[in-house]
Amino acid sequence: MSYDDVEIEDMEWNSELQAYTYPCPCGDLFQITKDELKLGEEIARCPSCSLYITVIYNLDDFLADSKTTNNNNNTPNQPIAVA
Amino acid sequence: MEQQNDNEEKQEEQEHVQKIWSWGAGTEGQLGTGRLEDEHLPQLLLHHSSLLPWSDPISQLACGGAHVIAMTSGGKVLTWGRGTSGQLGHGDLVNSLCPKVVSSLENNFITHVSAGWSHSGFVSDDGRVFTCGDGSFGQLGHGDYRTHCSPVRVSYFVNKHVEQIACGMRHSLVLLKGCSGDQIYAFGSGKRGQLGISKDKVKSVGLPEVTYGLEDVKIVSIAANGDHSAAVSVDGCLYTWGRGFSGTPDAQFPQGLPSSLRFTVVAVGWNHALALTGEGEVFMLGGNYHGVLGDLEKMGPAKQLPADSREAILQKVPGLNDIKTVQIAAGAEHSAVVTENGEIKAWGWGEHGQLGLGNTCDQTSPQAVSLSHTPNEATAFKVYCGSGFTFVIMTPCDPSQT
Repeated sequence: MSYDDVEIEDMEWNSELQAYTYPCPCGDLFQITKDELKLGEEIARCPSCSLYITVIYNLDDFLADSKTTNNNNNTPNQPIAVA
Repeated sequence: MEQQNDNEEKQEEQEHVQKIWSWGAGTEGQLGTGRLEDEHLPQLLLHHSSLLPWSDPISQLACGGAHVIAMTSGGKVLTWGRGTSGQLGHGDLVNSLCPKVVSSLENNFITHVSAGWSHSGFVSDDGRVFTCGDGSFGQLGHGDYRTHCSPVRVSYFVNKHVEQIACGMRHSLVLLKGCSGDQIYAFGSGKRGQLGISKDKVKSVGLPEVTYGLEDVKIVSIAANGDHSAAVSVDGCLYTWGRGFSGTPDAQFPQGLPSSLRFTVVAVGWNHALALTGEGEVFMLGGNYHGVLGDLEKMGPAKQLPADSREAILQKVPGLNDIKTVQIAAGAEHSAVVTENGEIKAWGWGEHGQLGLGNTCDQTSPQAVSLSHTPNEATAFKVYCGSGFTFVIMTPCDPSQT
């Protein structure tokens, strides 16, 4: 069973992990990549434990994103909020 | 040579003064064991005397997502564990395997500390409040939404006397000293109502704003974790706001719990809250997932709760009936208490060994943790829970007589 439902806007883009992340109660981070999202995947898993969350997002937002090339160059090293 | 003897004596003395154990998730160094692995049984931090280059004992711990803040009776602060957001306050963005002094606070006498998911708060005896760590949701209160790797004084409170700070996942609460009316301020993420600052949905605020709805009560303590906020008034009323418990709606303002019970302290997790009464009884609010993470399928669909029945979700914690509880602590999905006779009991989610029972099983009722130490009346225990880990500190009641 999914630990929680989390909207994509509440997840943070982590450039080091190249994934959207959300805090896991074990202390690690639930993670899902853009490629996974483009494939319609909605489960973000924690690499350290058995828990996972359901990501709520609009698939079209990510399919459109792939067409408008990669303009991610200004992403800082720090994880930032995807507002 | 004489000095060396002196030091040895001091160290020996310290062994008698205080003992510290830790267990649970440890891959960020949060257990202070010097190792990066989970521990399923309590680990005595053998060399803890070398952790403290002075003689005053630890008076309070605060455990966050994966970092720990220790405050000493002399007002000094040490931190360790995950530091990648600057939450350790060491001036860098790296993890620390062992406790390190927060040197930039050394000119302050710190009297209260709190650890959030990836930020930290410190209060000094003269009422100043400092924050560091991840600031991207405004949870540091500086108005800049930036990450700070050394504690920075929250200038909003420059003319106010701060008494406590409570750090949640992405928000913070501040309690002012001895004032009625505007006593609680909040900042950071407010999406679930955890700031209590507006009836409209607030995404986040970067500067402190007053929490409404507590104008006529005197608050004595505050707590925050996950997207929950909580407070206890001087007459024992429990208030919660933010994310709803057990599927109840989110609360945009502090909601007094309709109960005749008188509470002295509250501890919150990510889906539950624990409250202790003056009689030493422990009650739990919520806990849909808490303690039953592994048992959900067995339990079947969640029981339908009557709408607007907050009392229905407050239940007495089973298995603590024959003994008074003196202290409570809540991790993200686990809980721990200290009983009157010095026993530590833990329950909830156990996948990382955070219950300290030697396995990774979940527990739905409190289980005794063995500390390789016989509890006796001459010692006082305190328990603290981080997201997926637990700490216990044992201090002799009267150190001068040991």
